[in-house]
Amino acid sequence: MDYRNAFAISASGMTVEKLRLETIATNMANMHAVAGADGRLYRPLRVMTTEVQGGFHRQFNQGLEALQGTRAVVVESNAKPRAVYDPGHPAANPEGYVQYPGVNQVTEMVNMISALRAYEANVVAMNAAKSMAMKALEIGGNT
Amino acid sequence: MTVVDPITLDAPLLQSGQPSSAPTPVSADFADYFTQQLGEVNGQLMHAEHGLQLLATGQASNLHQVMINLEEAKLSLQLVAQVRNRLLDAFQEILRMQV
Repeated sequence: MDYRNAFAISASGMTVEKLRLETIATNMANMHAVAGADGRLYRPLRVMTTEVQGGFHRQFNQGLEALQGTRAVVVESNAKPRAVYDPGHPAANPEGYVQYPGVNQVTEMVNMISALRAYEANVVAMNAAKSMAMKALEIGGNT
Repeated sequence: MTVVDPITLDAPLLQSGQPSSAPTPVSADFADYFTQQLGEVNGQLMHAEHGLQLLATGQASNLHQVMINLEEAKLSLQLVAQVRNRLLDAFQEILRMQV
């Protein structure tokens, strides 16, 4: 396989982790957003990553030239909204409760840290692939 | 309320635009082949520099892709340099032969 495949695979991994961080940042930014004029409350987003074409092992066995990384989609989660009792709030419903998005701040922080570590892991993998290629260039040298 | 559109990352994300040197037939003249490889390396370097320009003007969306292009261009150039070294060694070996 071409050594550039390792770079492309790590690049796709890094892009997925960056996307994950962006969705987490969006969730944390909209944590305290009440429903807008259209009545729709913000729903927390999450990134779902799936394998491409069902199974890496099959691609390795066939020795395909273009090995693909991961495929990611951003979906809205079905977390229940938080209801806070605040009768004086302009957006309170008749019972006095205000609906906030069901964003769990602790979970988002943990996901953010894990996305950061996964990004670093992809960078390390790419550096390892580059070191391997550089070592291959030293074959037959220093005679 | 900001909404993130569903994004699917598949094949176009990966660097499929590789200057494939393996399928092209080796021309009869090695000098032509070497010049062709140098041209491809030059193309890679210019592509990397273009990515740097996009990054400087703030239009680059993918920072790590720019870095990867830079590293690939550097690696290709070092490969060409190593090929040149081996060729020169072989040539000097021939020159050392006593007449």
